Amino acid sequence: MFSFTLLFSSISLYVVAAIMSLLLSAKKESIGIAISGVLATIGGILGVCASLPVLFGADAMNYQISSPFYFADCILRLDPLSSLMVFIISLIVIACSIYSLAYMQEYKGKGAWAMGFFMNTFIASMVALVISDNAFYFIIFFEMMSLASYFLVVFEQKEASIRAGLQYFLIAHAGSVLIMIAFFILYRATGSLNFQDFRAAHLSPAMESVVFLLAFFGFGAKAGIISLHSWLPLAHPAAPSNASALMSGVMVKIGVFGIIKVGIDFLGADTAWWGYLVLAFGAVSSVLGVLYALAEHDIKRLLAYHTVENIGIILMGVGVGMVGIATHHPVLATIGLLGGLYHMLNHAVFKGLLFLGAGSVIFRIHTKDMDKMGGLGKLMPYTAIAFLIGTMAISALPPLNGFVSEWFIYQSLLTMGRQGDLMMSLGSIVAVVMLALTGALACMCFVKVYGVCFSGAPKSKASSNATEAPIAMVIGTSLLALMCIVLGIGSPWIAPVIKGVAASLVHGGQAVTVAHGLALVPGIAHQAILSEPIIAISLLLLLLIPFALVTLFKGQKMKRRHSNDPWACGYAYEERMTVDAGSFTHTLRSMYAPLYTLRDKLNLAIPFTWILIKTTSFAARIEPCFDDYIFMPIARTTQSLSRIVQRMQFGDFRWYCLYMVIALVILLLIPFDLGVK
Amino acid sequence: MQGLEIPSIGMITLAIIQALIMLALAPLFTGLSRVIRAKMHSRQGPGVLQDYRDLYKLLRRQDVAPSPSGMIFSITPWVLIITMALVAMAMPAVTNQSPFPIAGDVITDIYLFAIFRFFFALSGLDSGSVFAGLGSSRELTLGVLVEPTLILSVFTVALITGSSDLGHISTTLATLPWIAPVATVVAGAACAFVIFIEMGKLPFDVAEAEQELQEGPMTEYSGSGLALMKIGLGLKQMVVVQLFLAIFIPFGKAETLTISALLIATIWLLVKLFVCFSIASVLENSMARVRYVQTHELTWVGFGIAVLGFLFYLTGL
Repeated sequence: MFSFTLLFSSISLYVVAAIMSLLLSAKKESIGIAISGVLATIGGILGVCASLPVLFGADAMNYQISSPFYFADCILRLDPLSSLMVFIISLIVIACSIYSLAYMQEYKGKGAWAMGFFMNTFIASMVALVISDNAFYFIIFFEMMSLASYFLVVFEQKEASIRAGLQYFLIAHAGSVLIMIAFFILYRATGSLNFQDFRAAHLSPAMESVVFLLAFFGFGAKAGIISLHSWLPLAHPAAPSNASALMSGVMVKIGVFGIIKVGIDFLGADTAWWGYLVLAFGAVSSVLGVLYALAEHDIKRLLAYHTVENIGIILMGVGVGMVGIATHHPVLATIGLLGGLYHMLNHAVFKGLLFLGAGSVIFRIHTKDMDKMGGLGKLMPYTAIAFLIGTMAISALPPLNGFVSEWFIYQSLLTMGRQGDLMMSLGSIVAVVMLALTGALACMCFVKVYGVCFSGAPKSKASSNATEAPIAMVIGTSLLALMCIVLGIGSPWIAPVIKGVAASLVHGGQAVTVAHGLALVPGIAHQAILSEPIIAISLLLLLLIPFALVTLFKGQKMKRRHSNDPWACGYAYEERMTVDAGSFTHTLRSMYAPLYTLRDKLNLAIPFTWILIKTTSFAARIEPCFDDYIFMPIARTTQSLSRIVQRMQFGDFRWYCLYMVIALVILLLIPFDLGVK
Repeated sequence: MQGLEIPSIGMITLAIIQALIMLALAPLFTGLSRVIRAKMHSRQGPGVLQDYRDLYKLLRRQDVAPSPSGMIFSITPWVLIITMALVAMAMPAVTNQSPFPIAGDVITDIYLFAIFRFFFALSGLDSGSVFAGLGSSRELTLGVLVEPTLILSVFTVALITGSSDLGHISTTLATLPWIAPVATVVAGAACAFVIFIEMGKLPFDVAEAEQELQEGPMTEYSGSGLALMKIGLGLKQMVVVQLFLAIFIPFGKAETLTISALLIATIWLLVKLFVCFSIASVLENSMARVRYVQTHELTWVGFGIAVLGFLFYLTGL
């Protein structure tokens, strides 16, 4: 129960931080920024502590709070999966909150208090969402999360961000409608809104598939799987960088969490084609996501496309896991899920790091265009090193963390291909090729990002005048960079913990071995072995070879000279003679041209918007009839009413926020009858 | 098949010796390529030891780095050598099992090659030279084009043998009867195609001429930095050929860990390496160059062969 106490304190701290940001008026904004940052950091630390007992093998815990609604019991549950989610959220929150202490100074006088409010609401609703064990509260927190993040997207009030916000709002809510329908079907079958009853639900196989598909596409919209991804590269970059880090690092994982929750936890994943579906969407998302990322000039949009890619990789692991569960193969299921869940943690860390790093650069030079950066490696050394570690981790280079999870996914695919089933072999080989292609493309993409932004000569005046980011921002990014190394080198100790989470979802998964001593094994001892700590030590020791070569053959040479211009094929060197983000990938883009045209064809948002426009224009045509007979009389009454209400209006946005909070509290306190149950 | 474990001290010593020998022999085999090319051009050409002399000279020369270059530019030569040396340690070159199985997983090796590619390309961008930058772009583009073929062919063999460990693959394929001979041979052909490209050969690249864009990232290096880069590239050629040999030609290895058996295996290995490098050189010099933007038309053929290999595996041939 101690975990719940910690967790409640953590959530309360976020809520207090949110309210404090709201209450501290424009003049005391710096205090507001400090308070909200510090409280959220402590909240994050408490959240991490709360998640540890269950992760390290304690039994799942339930806790019931008296609910104001008799139809919905407010049950909270910390099982291994939700503990992992709490851990991921809290970890990124710690880094982001420390980072915000300095980063938010930029927004002083431009609504920093509102950002503090929405950020903390956003975090609190995410934590509450993953631990709620009741469909009603789940949906409430899901909506709160979507709304808070919507306000973060439109925060900068530019035309582009408002358009991005609108598209995000539409797709997020289309997704929630699908999720609500899925929950409603489960509710009809069980007569209860509690997840524990959903787990025991008996549905016909066809109905189960319907529920799964609804949940898959509903949560998939949140996760940004391809064809439902178009909002993601618009919305994530539009938000301020600390918010993008949370949205891209954590929020999209809620989508994956939902897919696992409904597919495996509720429905038991007993139909093999669900797994293949998840695997297929994962594979396509990963390749197309990274391919579109390659074409970007805007650093934050590029990172957002990489989120689509990494969600794809996570879903590949989850898909293999689901196939394994459906075919009663615990090793396959556990290793696949382990790969997926490990990558979920890893991606949160390195994507958080990369967004924060990009934020530091934007904080200094005020542009998102990579072609105006360059040369920052020498001007912002700490940020550059942290960013380099992030790019290496996301390119899955050993011995960092990205490689461990991808290695497990490769191994699970190998196990899957060995089962002697045609469908499994085909699925495994296609996924392996896609994963390899994704790896090579990601490597290229991040060489481009680091090379164009941090290497070479500065490409604009702003970037030649850049200085190192403030200390709080450096701490935020370094913390995550350190985590990339710890999660990689510490994998022989961390993988068994995450395997515990995976095994909690798989019948018979506890018996699967994933690590012995310093080495990782994919369940089957002779299939493969990996030891990140030994690889790291070996690489360091092997440095002796070049060192010996250089010292042995030293001779009487002159000291290293670091001056003069690079060679420019015989012409005088100019600083604009550098490779930019476009030319670097030009050849590749021409080779893969057909896949780029798919972007619009696969985009469901386009037909969706078309339907919306048709509906609104239809509604507009029949609107006048309603107006004359129904609305106008009502409007007149409302107008006279509103004159009375006007006395409550102060024209200050903060008062309205406070009204909303009060209204919510009152609504929660009045137990009224909605006719359910 | 026995489980994989962290190797004993003896095996680690063997691994280190083997990596050092490969490092020492790398300039000999790149020199061999130069001799063969000169012969085919009807030139006198340099001697087979020319690359040793070049390296010796370069190591004693001053390092000059262009002013825009930074940290990456300085550390890249070191990174290239250590990653390739680690792969070299893991190769089951003279033994059936990998002497250092920790790095002997094919997936790990492919990603260790990715570290090489990552830093090699990044150093080109870091030098600030547009020429080097374009070379980086080409290096990575080629990586994107060949990586799927490499992984598909290697994965087919891993499926056949049930392990992604190089030692186990090697041992299983060396033991008759072969489980899926046609699939193995076809996958081997696809893998050979990739290895040929990874060695930096025509029609994709000319490794020797520094003016070629593919070698572009090296443009700005000089002195000991250039020497280390050259050693790194030479070692990579050795290692990729051995990757192919370890998987697809796993014969003539030491069955027991005695000095005499290891020596015989080493001689066999040198013969195999000599044949591979000679074939690669002859092929390279009898080909014309293609325009770079058309390389993907060729690499698709390689990918097609790899797919064919997998289909043969499915049919059980």
